[in-house]
Amino acid sequence: MSETAGDAKPEVKQASKEVKESENVAEKYSAMTVSKNSEINMGELSSVLSAVPTHKPVKKQIQFVEEKQEFSRFPTKTGRRSLSRSISQSSTDSYSSAASYTDSSDDETSPRDKTQVNSKGSSDFCVKNIKQAEFGRREIEIAEQDMSALISLRKRAQSEKPLAGAKIVGCTHITAQTAVLIETLVALGAQCRWTACNIYSTQNEVAAALAERGVAAFAWKGESEDDFWWCIDRCVNTEGWQANMILDDGGDLTHWVYKKYPNVFKKIRGIVEESVTGVHRLYQLSKAGKLCVPAMNVNDSVTKQKFDNLYCCRESILDGLKRTTDVMFGGKQVVVCGYGEVGKGCSAALKALGAVVYVTEIDPICALQACMDGFRVVKLNEVIRLVDIIITCTGNKNVVTRDQLDRMKNGCIVCNMGHSNTEIDVASLRTPELTWERVRSQVDHVIWPDGKRVILLAEGRLLNLSCSTVPTFVLSITATTQALALIELYNAPEGRYKQDVYLLPKKMDEYVASLHLATFDAHLTELTDEQAKYLGLNKNGPFKPNYYRY
Amino acid sequence: MAKEKNHTGDSWEDLALPEYFPEPCTEERAEEEDTEEAAKDSAVKCSPTLLRMLKAAESRWTPRDRDKAEPSELGRKVSEAEALKTNMQIQLNDQQEEFNKLPTKAGPRPLSHSVSQLSADSFSSVGSVSSEDESPPQKKPQKTSKGLTDFCVKNIKQAAFGRKGIDIAQQEMPALMILRKRAGGEKPLAGAKVVGCTHITAQTAVLIETLTALGAQCRWAACNIFSTQNAVAAALAEGGISVFAWKGESEDDFLWCIDRCVAADAWEPNLILDDGGDLTQWIYKKYPSLFKKLKGIVEESVTGIYRLYQLSKAGKLCVPAMNVNDSVTKQKFDNIYCCKESILDGLKRTTDVMFGGKQVVVCGYGEVGKGCCAALKGLGAIIYVTEVDPICALQACMDGIRVITLSEVIRHADMVITCTGNKNVVTREHFDRMRSGCIVCNMGHSNTEIDLASLRTTELKWHRVRPQVDHIIWPDGKRVVLLAEGRLLNLSCSTVPSFVLSVTAATQALALIELYNAPAGRYKQDVYLLPKKMDEYVASLHLPMFDAHVTELTDEQAQYLGISKHGPFKPNYYRY
Repeated sequence: MSETAGDAKPEVKQASKEVKESENVAEKYSAMTVSKNSEINMGELSSVLSAVPTHKPVKKQIQFVEEKQEFSRFPTKTGRRSLSRSISQSSTDSYSSAASYTDSSDDETSPRDKTQVNSKGSSDFCVKNIKQAEFGRREIEIAEQDMSALISLRKRAQSEKPLAGAKIVGCTHITAQTAVLIETLVALGAQCRWTACNIYSTQNEVAAALAERGVAAFAWKGESEDDFWWCIDRCVNTEGWQANMILDDGGDLTHWVYKKYPNVFKKIRGIVEESVTGVHRLYQLSKAGKLCVPAMNVNDSVTKQKFDNLYCCRESILDGLKRTTDVMFGGKQVVVCGYGEVGKGCSAALKALGAVVYVTEIDPICALQACMDGFRVVKLNEVIRLVDIIITCTGNKNVVTRDQLDRMKNGCIVCNMGHSNTEIDVASLRTPELTWERVRSQVDHVIWPDGKRVILLAEGRLLNLSCSTVPTFVLSITATTQALALIELYNAPEGRYKQDVYLLPKKMDEYVASLHLATFDAHLTELTDEQAKYLGLNKNGPFKPNYYRY
Repeated sequence: MAKEKNHTGDSWEDLALPEYFPEPCTEERAEEEDTEEAAKDSAVKCSPTLLRMLKAAESRWTPRDRDKAEPSELGRKVSEAEALKTNMQIQLNDQQEEFNKLPTKAGPRPLSHSVSQLSADSFSSVGSVSSEDESPPQKKPQKTSKGLTDFCVKNIKQAAFGRKGIDIAQQEMPALMILRKRAGGEKPLAGAKVVGCTHITAQTAVLIETLTALGAQCRWAACNIFSTQNAVAAALAEGGISVFAWKGESEDDFLWCIDRCVAADAWEPNLILDDGGDLTQWIYKKYPSLFKKLKGIVEESVTGIYRLYQLSKAGKLCVPAMNVNDSVTKQKFDNIYCCKESILDGLKRTTDVMFGGKQVVVCGYGEVGKGCCAALKGLGAIIYVTEVDPICALQACMDGIRVITLSEVIRHADMVITCTGNKNVVTREHFDRMRSGCIVCNMGHSNTEIDLASLRTTELKWHRVRPQVDHIIWPDGKRVVLLAEGRLLNLSCSTVPSFVLSVTAATQALALIELYNAPAGRYKQDVYLLPKKMDEYVASLHLPMFDAHVTELTDEQAQYLGISKHGPFKPNYYRY
């Protein structure tokens, strides 16, 4: 807590300060831990429900498998696809898989039993079908266009090869966007072995393309639990190759290494963890004194937080509601539960469209912010009879109860933008007197005996994941942050990072942001020497003290 | 004070203009007017300029006056009670004639009387001195009605008038009044001996009397030689608080006052409330032994905190210190919310400009820049931002604002607003390329952002067209409109709402309570931020103003989140 001479402190110390707060973090996160399984189920469900765009390609894929000459046809197909293709994958630990239409369902043999060889003769990988590689390459190229930050990182750092000698074992969603990240790491000198952090989210053709390029990828869509661990094991356990870096999403890989190959940790220089869940696990380890390498918490970096929450939700709340209900916002009375980053984004977006917005809050500071931003702060019970739309973004549980659902007016829309599916007490609606009617995918009408209807979206799961897309730009922020975290950990001088969980140094955060400014054609002003001296800053940053709130 | 200017280059300049910009005649005139006005503000005679200035001043003061209004019933009860104790009534009886006279003098004053005092460490001084009285207050023995002589103010007879000011302020500072009510029974500061050095205004008076109501004994000096409201100081003295302050102290007087505060017989402070670090510095230099008894220092200003951090770095800080300046609520209010309103206010007052469709360049996208942009965007201006920090630049992009360098747009800009905290952001070269009629002003931290020195050349003509508004005329007839001579627009040309001051004062009071009641060992010899819970408490004290109803967690929910039902609700690193 003591903020001593903010700016002057070296980064290391600042980082360690963050760690002091780790207890809080852990406590906080314990609230958010969502069991991985439930997320998976959810993803599965939503993929089924939102499967609209996926049908066609599934069949087509079969042809590709056999015929290379088909290749010439790809452009037309991919052209269309890239539109319908938006995998909504939150950079945290959930996703909705509208993906992998490439899943050739007729191929029944498990990839584990199939020997495949890429064009260079390597067989150290395991994907659904290596022949899909060309197609996956196209996907990756499309993604590259939206991830200019990573591409420019490649260019800027290619000559130095900051990751030369790094042996990275990774466990993330395997999608075109991640592939861009992986290939960037390779371009920077690293050797990578990769596996999927989720049994459904893998894009088979992308995995094939990676394998073709010599990355040992072990992943396919629709793995079994057993396959999942087998893949991780294959990644870690190879002869003559020992990982020295871990890039994890969800903490499963770390967990596996920790359990099975504890001696691998001796060589590991650091863990980069992206998801809330995984970070929580790391903090627990660290608290228990069992963390024996430095870990980098990428999830809480400024840029990532702002993009995952504020900016992303600001857009997806409108997108999600429009897609599912075609509602018009002007003049509608909306109550937003919670005024954190997500709440701020939702409120701003709705206000801009002319909705009348109320806010409920428990934290007086956030409540005061809402007041100053011109929102009425109320209790839910006070306005429940009036409102047309209820949006929860508290991260809490049972924020909207059956009692409140009973008092809503006819046609009220209820949805959740928060952290898990607990915010709306959906269980209480599964009673015999209420009729559920599915009117569209992700849209249920819950009908009371007197005919009143309440419109429940995505069955109380996350609206932004189920009913709208995550822009590649957001994923690009995450991927760039991960890449820089790896570089930082790998190149940090001995002793800068101890066996603890760190936040990315501010300078790296600023670098991530600066890599993305080109997209907006934004021109950054440079400090003159004189100005830098006056401010007591380095000309190239970091520009803000660590406690700066942005 | 002069030292401090060098330290942070902070808004001090706004006060002590005189030595600061000696060159331009216009300016000096202005300053003279300022002092003049200050001296005889009761008489609204003078020139139209003065009138205008008074008006401007008024606006600044209004916050205080409003604050004064705040004390309202609650406050009044308390103050009446105090008054009873101190025999204030008696005094009134003694000097009924005097009392009757006051209103007339006072009449115009409460209006002209608004010291615009930023809760950080700046203010613009338009005080309340009855200039007839020439003898220095030190030399004048005065007595309160109760017989207390341990104070030094301009004129104790102004007490009744000052009391009114305080009463008004109380109405606008409900948070402190609630605090008095809630904590009054327990007297959380019983036994505390607080020596304070802040601006002495009606708002501070409410704070001081709150501290007294909570059980503390206070001795108070002014942290600025111009900002003291004499009547308020008198009222405080009459209320039994040892106040040493008057408007227009000399540097010597200033230190003498501080010394008298600290070096009292048989009274040793155990808490320090400081604004600017002068008091701390003095004790540190002259009475180091006092530190042994100190429970802590509460420091409000950027400058003072900078000094504390330096001390702490050098290992010389031997008591815990509380950094009030960087608490969430204070930061947000001082910067984003306050500037959001004052940028429009300041520009309108000075230039009557219309914002719709104007091209505005905002230099810097920190809290202040964000506030300015939001406000201007709301009025339909076209906004460009310049930034050095890529994270803030990206935020600007996402908020739909073009990020450019200043030289790229300078030719098109109708207004340039600086809020970087940096120096020479707008240079002579930029000025030369501006279009005619371009308005240039500063919302940042000091008066260094606009390179004024470069404009003091012979070929450029300066025309003062209004108070705080200069036209600078190029040989080819081009005019650039410079506001407040590059000093802070929000301090010079608009008001600081009492609500903002109330947030600061409440934070200070809670910081004192926290330091005084903390179990031994909680705070070491270091500089601390206010605990989050206290921050949240400050916020919650201000919510009734908005009739805001905060939702309470159920037990089940609190358990699910793993937090206490009563906060703190957020982890420390939360960014709000």
